[in-house]
Amino acid sequence: MAVPVPWACCAVLAAAAAVVYAQRHSPQETPHVQYERLGSDVTLPCGTANWDAAVTWRVNGTDLAPDLLNGSQLVLRGLELGHSGLYACFHRDSWHLRHQVLLNVGLPPREPVLSCRSNTYPKGFYCSWHLPSPTYIPNTFNVTVLHGSKIMVCEKDPALKNRCHIRYMHLFSTVKYKVSISVSNALGHNTTAITFDEFTIVKPDPPENVVARPVPSNPRRLEVTWQTPSTWPDPESFPLKFFLRYRPLILDQWQHVELSDGTAHTITDAYAGKEYIIQVAAKDNEIGTWSDWSVAAHATPWTEEPRHLTTEAQAPETTASTTSSLAPPPTTKICDPGELGSGGGPSAPFFISVLVTLALAAAAAAAGSLLI
Amino acid sequence: MLACLCTVLWHLPAVPALNRTGDPGPGPSIQKTYDLTRYLEHQLRSLAGTYLNYLGPPFNEPDFNPPRLGAETLPRATVNLDVWRSLNDRLRLTQNYEAYSHLLCYLRGLNRQAATAELRRSLAHFCTSLQGLLGSIAGVMAALGYPLPQPLPGTEPTWTPGPAHSDFLQKMDDFWLLKELQTWLWRSAKDFNRLKKKMQPPAAAVTLHLEAHGF
Repeated sequence: MAVPVPWACCAVLAAAAAVVYAQRHSPQETPHVQYERLGSDVTLPCGTANWDAAVTWRVNGTDLAPDLLNGSQLVLRGLELGHSGLYACFHRDSWHLRHQVLLNVGLPPREPVLSCRSNTYPKGFYCSWHLPSPTYIPNTFNVTVLHGSKIMVCEKDPALKNRCHIRYMHLFSTVKYKVSISVSNALGHNTTAITFDEFTIVKPDPPENVVARPVPSNPRRLEVTWQTPSTWPDPESFPLKFFLRYRPLILDQWQHVELSDGTAHTITDAYAGKEYIIQVAAKDNEIGTWSDWSVAAHATPWTEEPRHLTTEAQAPETTASTTSSLAPPPTTKICDPGELGSGGGPSAPFFISVLVTLALAAAAAAAGSLLI
Repeated sequence: MLACLCTVLWHLPAVPALNRTGDPGPGPSIQKTYDLTRYLEHQLRSLAGTYLNYLGPPFNEPDFNPPRLGAETLPRATVNLDVWRSLNDRLRLTQNYEAYSHLLCYLRGLNRQAATAELRRSLAHFCTSLQGLLGSIAGVMAALGYPLPQPLPGTEPTWTPGPAHSDFLQKMDDFWLLKELQTWLWRSAKDFNRLKKKMQPPAAAVTLHLEAHGF
């Protein structure tokens, strides 16, 4: 009974000693970082070990089959993204860690896509870029801006990492701007450049706050209002013109109106009772291109009868509240026998209210037949 | 080196002052001048295309981006942003007037050498329109009480076809002339926009406001 206890003690002590030994004789603390191309073959040597050393390789803690070994070197063929990971080779008998490689499988960068735009003319412009396909490994970008022979500073965007901003020093320049970008990673390098005139890249942001409202008592009208984009710094000296498009939801074809001034327009040929979708775009009066379409506004022109069946369930007095100015007076008044007897003035309101009721009934019948 | 004999232009007949009774102010003539710059810009687009094709490559290539050499006497539209903003009305108008006077002169020189009859016709038409723009600017200046710029003695441009001026360099000058003209027309549109807004009587702003809210 007393015998196993000392043996257990010795085993623990031996293990502790081995760990301390391994740590003190470990060949490297940090793994070697290596980048390899997707689809290629790579041979990973086990550090400085001899070719014929007995080693075991592990990836992310999982043993690798010995058939991948060429002596003490690990051979990986046809690298895939899944091959990325932490590779470690151990002395087979002592489990002593000999070498670690952090393998990253990726691609050299393809030609980047670069574009520049001025939505804040005449303050400045910005350039943004991206790679057409991923490299799967970290890339660094370097942007240079030349105006003729002068180098201009492109300030990094605080929020977006693939965008930088340039401020115009001079306006109305006949000399073109040249923006070049170079991208590089551990596997390669690529570059592209674009050249443009100051005026060609002007493209405002879309108009903001597009609101469409029905016009009371006008079943074919819609009043549309919007605001110049807040990013456009000087609409007074650099006025924008606008392009409006609208269509009923049920049709595919748009109607277009170009407006050289003002931020409001009344559509006068809307189909009665149909819901419309309306969008607005903006452009500098003289230079550049049209903005993208704004967020769409929806509206339905005013109609005579209550729009939703649910509101008819309410007491007649309350139907007069919102939609139509032709809302009838309370029904009790129409059927007031006192009014029938007297002539002249008092009878007039009664007459009108009767007409109104009849008109409403007729409209309801007509609308019912038109509704799809 | 581009240079031009233009004594004729500098002595345009004095534009009579606008009839002040019931005078709507310089507003309508500023609008007219603005419209003229747009018309000219449109005209120039087709004229420049034709002329650059006549010059041949590389001048008619869209990516052509030569350094600005020679053509130093061409009036340059480019201006520092803050300076442009702070130009007073008189200076703004004067700069436009002087620029177009020079440009018209150079254009007339271009016309003299143009090879085809059709090009000469287009150029002549454009020169006439440009002359109209000059007159319009002069009208605005007169309405505002500004004197027309007079050339200083000694700076009057004279035509001197440089002896060592090669064919290629001449074409380069032509290229820059057209480019500068186009840029000036864009700049003028902005200049006249600014003037228009400043001249706008306050009542107009109120009327617009009412219209937006009525139905």
